[in-house]
Amino acid sequence: MKRFSLILTYLVLVGISAVLLGLVTYSPLPDLASSFASPEIQFAIVLSLVTSFASTAICIVIAIPVAYALARFDFFGKRIANLALTLPLTLPPLVAGIALLLFFGTTPWGKALEQAGFMVIFTPLGIIVAEVFVNIPYMIRILRSAFSTINPRYEYVAKTLGCTDTGAFFRVTLPMARSGLLAGTVITWSKAMGEFGAVLMVAGATTMRTETLPIALYLNISTGDLDLAVAAATILILISLVTLCAVEYFDKGVNVF
Amino acid sequence: MLRIDSLSITLGEFSVRDVSLEIQPNEYFIILGPTGAGKTVLLETIAGIHTPDSGKIFLCNREITSIEPRLRNIGMVYQDYMLFPHLTVQQNITFGLNQREVPKDEQSTMVDEICALLEITHLVGRYPGSLSGGEQQRVALARALVLKPEVLLLDEPMSALDRRTRERMRTELSRIRKLTGTTIVQITHHFDDVFAIADRIAIMREGRIVQVGETAEVFLHPADTFVAEFLGIGNIIRGTSSRAGYVTVITPETGPVFYASSRVSGDVVAALHAEDVIVSVAPFASSARNCLYGTVLEIIAFGSTIRVIIDVGFPLTALLTRESCHELHIEPGSRVYATFKATAVHVIPVNLE
Repeated sequence: MKRFSLILTYLVLVGISAVLLGLVTYSPLPDLASSFASPEIQFAIVLSLVTSFASTAICIVIAIPVAYALARFDFFGKRIANLALTLPLTLPPLVAGIALLLFFGTTPWGKALEQAGFMVIFTPLGIIVAEVFVNIPYMIRILRSAFSTINPRYEYVAKTLGCTDTGAFFRVTLPMARSGLLAGTVITWSKAMGEFGAVLMVAGATTMRTETLPIALYLNISTGDLDLAVAAATILILISLVTLCAVEYFDKGVNVF
Repeated sequence: MLRIDSLSITLGEFSVRDVSLEIQPNEYFIILGPTGAGKTVLLETIAGIHTPDSGKIFLCNREITSIEPRLRNIGMVYQDYMLFPHLTVQQNITFGLNQREVPKDEQSTMVDEICALLEITHLVGRYPGSLSGGEQQRVALARALVLKPEVLLLDEPMSALDRRTRERMRTELSRIRKLTGTTIVQITHHFDDVFAIADRIAIMREGRIVQVGETAEVFLHPADTFVAEFLGIGNIIRGTSSRAGYVTVITPETGPVFYASSRVSGDVVAALHAEDVIVSVAPFASSARNCLYGTVLEIIAFGSTIRVIIDVGFPLTALLTRESCHELHIEPGSRVYATFKATAVHVIPVNLE
């Protein structure tokens, strides 16, 4: 049994590595470099970075208080809130995307937002909205578990030592949840970088307008421009690698996947 | 002076019901009670963590019931110390000083002083995770005391410590109290804490204070059966009490009558400390009113002492040193006399609720 399982483990390892290395080494280095230099890929990199940073920041700002409430307080509808906030985790991003599309495209409140200048459909702003919608449950879950492992008495003591409620949170609880926050941030960001389905539905796939890295990959593969597609894929693989290392490094009992 | 006026609060399964207490300045006050009596909730409410459902709290004649914890000048040390793990010992101690915006140069003098007092100067650069239980305890005390609180609240401060550290900590706490003049309110379920340091104690049960008084007073005159049993008094005998001239005769449910000095009559519980029972192989003349004859049932070693259970008609427990037990050649089956004074018997009326 031991020999069999070890052999199988090595086979899987070799299999995954071969597939991924095959992609990364597909184009010779000079070709890859010129693909990176192409305006389309550069645009995609910049757009991906901007939207993913923005959506991650929004996720952090919203998820911190929400996760804290879920971890600390009892309130009406807590169980339903827990369930509803987790649902997008198991929802295929395409479904989340079409739901967002319908919300902003057909409902009166969606149209009202559109009129007020909050243009979401087929715009770069739509990319951020889609990424936030899909990723915020991860952030909330990770932070909730980080907060709930921290004894509230730390805050009590901080208050007797002169902190306000908010002060106790920022000086004690949040620093103690540091590793959860870092892990959550890295995961949210890398998922935002790779988000495809929801972005495709809400923001569309317009070259040089809503073209993030995954969209660039998709557009170029459909037009048969393999070199550019591979360049986009290579960057995405590198990001995954960095994320994994970062999570392994920060993760202390924060089970995400 | 800390005054608590009919305080009530319910928090989940724990509650405090109609508690009134007056704690004097510079007093060492211990609240004793079994787990789940609501002791911690009471302490946290005094600190201002929870808002009471009803009742008032006064500190130095100022009402503090709805004042934020940070403005109360009450320090708190928990059982598990709750040192901030992301800060060094030094940063933990200066945490409160930073909140009060004490200038840095004053801070360092204050930290040096408190560290010297608690003998933790060598630990300042370390993180709490690397400290022993006793060391963490000292740091937690330093963190609270450096702010010179009016009242220091201690939540089961000894229970996480080993026996030797615990004894050291007790002496330490009474020394600190003398040096700083801080009023200390401690909750515990450990009697040794009480004997060693408390000026006064309160007994708490199911959210209520059932008895308050000077330590000796409470031990010598437990207010009811619960207090007597909880305080671990060796002998609690149910019976009826009747006056006979200047003395009171207790008739137990089984076994011989004995005398007590009490004015209580009717259904009673008689409490007798095991250490007040003298064991002898022959009867001897003494001023003690009670001398009962019986058979040794059992001998239980109990640290440096020995508990001898004698069947005198009802089981009676006596506390002896190992030496005297050995010299008297007492073993199960021995016939012995148990002598105790009438004044050693505490008679508690039974409330027929």
